[in-house]
Amino acid sequence: MQSIELIAPRYGIAWYPWAVQYFFLIALSYASLWLAVPGVIFGRENWKAAGRLALLGAVSTAIVAPITLLADLHQPMRFWHFYAYPNPTSWMALGSFFLPLYVGAVVVLGWLVWRNPMRAHANAGGVQGWLARIVPLGQWETPRWAVVLVGLAAVVFSLGVMIYTGAEVAILKARPLWHTEYLPAMFLITGLIGAAGLVVVLNRFSGLRHPRAGDQMLTVILVSLVLAGLVVAGWLAQGLTMNEGSVAAAIDSVRNNPDWRGLAYWNVVVGVVLFLGAGLMEIFGSLRGTRWILGLLALHVAWMFRWTVLMEVQTVARNSAGFQHYAIDPGSQGILGIVGSFGLWLAVVLIINMFVPWRTALGGRDEAEIPSAVQGEPNYG
Amino acid sequence: MDLARRLFLGQAARITAGAAFVPLASVAEAGINDQPPRRGGDPEKRYAMLIDLRRCIGCQACTVSCHIENQAPLGKFRTIVSQSEVQSTETGGLAQFMLPRLCNHCDNPPCVPVCPVGATFQREDGIVVVDSDRCVGCAYCVQACPYDARFINERTQTADKCTFCAHRLEAGLLPACVESCVGGARIIGDIHDPKSQISRMIDEHYDELKVLKPEKNTSPHVFYLGMDERFATRPAAVPGLWDVRDHEGQELGYEYAEH
Ligand code: SF4
Ligand code: SF4
Repeated sequence: MQSIELIAPRYGIAWYPWAVQYFFLIALSYASLWLAVPGVIFGRENWKAAGRLALLGAVSTAIVAPITLLADLHQPMRFWHFYAYPNPTSWMALGSFFLPLYVGAVVVLGWLVWRNPMRAHANAGGVQGWLARIVPLGQWETPRWAVVLVGLAAVVFSLGVMIYTGAEVAILKARPLWHTEYLPAMFLITGLIGAAGLVVVLNRFSGLRHPRAGDQMLTVILVSLVLAGLVVAGWLAQGLTMNEGSVAAAIDSVRNNPDWRGLAYWNVVVGVVLFLGAGLMEIFGSLRGTRWILGLLALHVAWMFRWTVLMEVQTVARNSAGFQHYAIDPGSQGILGIVGSFGLWLAVVLIINMFVPWRTALGGRDEAEIPSAVQGEPNYG
Repeated sequence: MDLARRLFLGQAARITAGAAFVPLASVAEAGINDQPPRRGGDPEKRYAMLIDLRRCIGCQACTVSCHIENQAPLGKFRTIVSQSEVQSTETGGLAQFMLPRLCNHCDNPPCVPVCPVGATFQREDGIVVVDSDRCVGCAYCVQACPYDARFINERTQTADKCTFCAHRLEAGLLPACVESCVGGARIIGDIHDPKSQISRMIDEHYDELKVLKPEKNTSPHVFYLGMDERFATRPAAVPGLWDVRDHEGQELGYEYAEH
């Protein structure tokens, strides 16, 4: 039998690039928080530099992520319905409770950690001095136990966020490509890759240039890439023998759609380049000045994975022949939304950077006052 | 045996092979993603539709009348008749295959438990509806429906779908698509009433009835008579309509795009 489809409606996509931005930012946030755990919560000296950077990453992305989520609703002003009419059978409803708890805990954690160095600026003039007097809410020293307690609470909520974001998509049997337990695992691992990349990039562009933090993040990226490879191998192995399910759907898409082919090659190539780059840098210390490029690449891997999974999968038709065409909208439902949410994140980081002396948190030195703090790594401009 | 129960068991038997492909069903479902309680509607009834494909001529009268009755935006459909041209690889003979599509008012509807605010719900009479005053437009249900039966209505910015014309049923009228069907191919009724036309037809043709994507375990309640198995899931067809391109490779003939 051969058949040609004569009449079928065109089904558009229902989740917009905002959803990619949300899944990207929230994964960066919870994974950054985990990277901050040894230094910030357990007070491990070796991890404090990474912890300072990762905390900045976790807080800034946690602030922007919920905004992108709201933007993906078609009725954002009705967000209070989530709390007025919660439906306990829905993963998304569960998420609507985990998310504010998580964001709240991370912001409070940031406040607890940053208020100590902030107090030191209470005598400064202008807005900075004013904020340094107001925001810490008193002159008391932040007790260690408070950081540990709030930090652990944030970690617990972050697990909730991690699980719900994965399960929310993976339970949808309507889309075979999503309906696999390997998907949440990949969200988690690519989130870690992206978060480590974010720390590397912040390390470079904040001027901190802490060599140990950079090396630790390279190791995180390397280990996570190996794990990602294993997960993909497991996914392929369990699915190759079936003629239904997510692997079959993926192979079908790659075989029949040139865009999908390009995407698959690109994702594999970027992953391999990142792996080789990070590996080479671990071996040859001299290349480390260019770590930030790998950091950007790691962020790209985390973002591209979500773009492929959330946007491209929506173009796989469920009932009609071929593929649904999706052209990215130039406006707020597309490019403007993507650029806008990154711009917003950048603004949040710049504002924190301007008013919060996060570099001197956890006993860190302010390299502006002590120039020798950057010694130990060549200044590569 | 009660007809509704018999239908369910019949479908369950057909999907046992497919059950192997839903490993998550057992993992994630500790209450989460279970069906919430039904609400509203007449608990004595179970509405269902039977579509006699032998009588469908693909005239799209149902598509048009639904559009007028329910005011869906241009390019979005609560029901439509998919049409394919089929050629036998052996004889070369040509035939047209028509497949009216609409919400299946599934008995295990995956669109319902996912709704974060309970705006999508199933009534006691089996009809799956959306409370558009409550819907936040998250489109989770649109993703969850395996049949593309839902869409976000750009005018209301909420989820939209076929309701079996519940407002007409309540007034004692037939749904617009049933009313306008030229060949009398669409039959709606209460399958709890053994004397209804749909119950009698289901009894008569029980073994020939098919539903769409039985392997998804949704227990659809739109039954097709005279349906070719190969169209029950996504057919292996060549997309004809959207592949009409001009000499520069630009797509032609798509007039009801976003406006
Ligand atoms: S066909 Fe789709 S929208 Fe209708 S009840 Fe089934 S899953 Fe829900
Ligand atoms: S779009 Fe509306 S009806 Fe659908 S899941 Fe979201 S809130 Fe519920």
